[in-house]
Amino acid sequence: MRMLGADGVFVGSGIFKSENPEKRARAIVLACTYYDDPELLAKVSEDLGEAMPGLEIEKIPEHALLQYR
Amino acid sequence: MKIGVLAVQGAAREHLLCLSRLGVEAVSVLRPADLAGLSGIILPGGESTAQWRLLSRAGLADPLGEALKEGLPAFGTCAGLILLAQEITNWPERYLGVLDVAVERNATGRQVDSFEAKVRVDGLGEVPAVFIRAPAIRRVGPGVEVLGTYEGEPVLVRQGSVLGATFHPELTEDLRIHELFLSLCRKG
Repeated sequence: MRMLGADGVFVGSGIFKSENPEKRARAIVLACTYYDDPELLAKVSEDLGEAMPGLEIEKIPEHALLQYR
Repeated sequence: MKIGVLAVQGAAREHLLCLSRLGVEAVSVLRPADLAGLSGIILPGGESTAQWRLLSRAGLADPLGEALKEGLPAFGTCAGLILLAQEITNWPERYLGVLDVAVERNATGRQVDSFEAKVRVDGLGEVPAVFIRAPAIRRVGPGVEVLGTYEGEPVLVRQGSVLGATFHPELTEDLRIHELFLSLCRKG
């Protein structure tokens, strides 16, 4: 995204529903700033715990779907 | 002449493009080594607290502060002005403190209150300006010259070779404010 010219990347539940939100948030911010530095990208991407698990849309109850809230 | 643009967060890219259009070498500043050989530095708009955290983490706070004290010409726009200001009226911290003004963060309100306007600049006349959740300059020190105003309030100020604007000149096609900064860089 940054290489395509975006000023930033919006991440919401990908952070909050991951195993270690604080560490993942920091990693995403630094990856955004130093997107052209592979060494730093590799370093901040290490040991972040599990990412947010994928959700199947059929398994989300209606009351939790944004368009019905 | 090589001009740096602090690129840890915010509108760095637009400033880099303006500088390139004016035919000067423009480089992103992300690490202390990037400060070498600069004739001036632009501190872009963005979010001042996030910028300060990121540049501190990068080890840039001290070398940048030193370079400014040694007279490196600097131009802060919006959040960049907040980083340069000696006082922030509605925030407990202050950052580089090399421009003797007091600024108020987010003085024009929320994002929906952002606007475009013409500002009056000494020697240039009317210049288009974009104000995005802009800070306001509430106090101007004795060594600081007001170069630009909007509705009678200061929006562009200069102290020696340090220039500060509450607005974003990099978001218009008008490059005269950048030219003004380059003239300060040429004087050194």
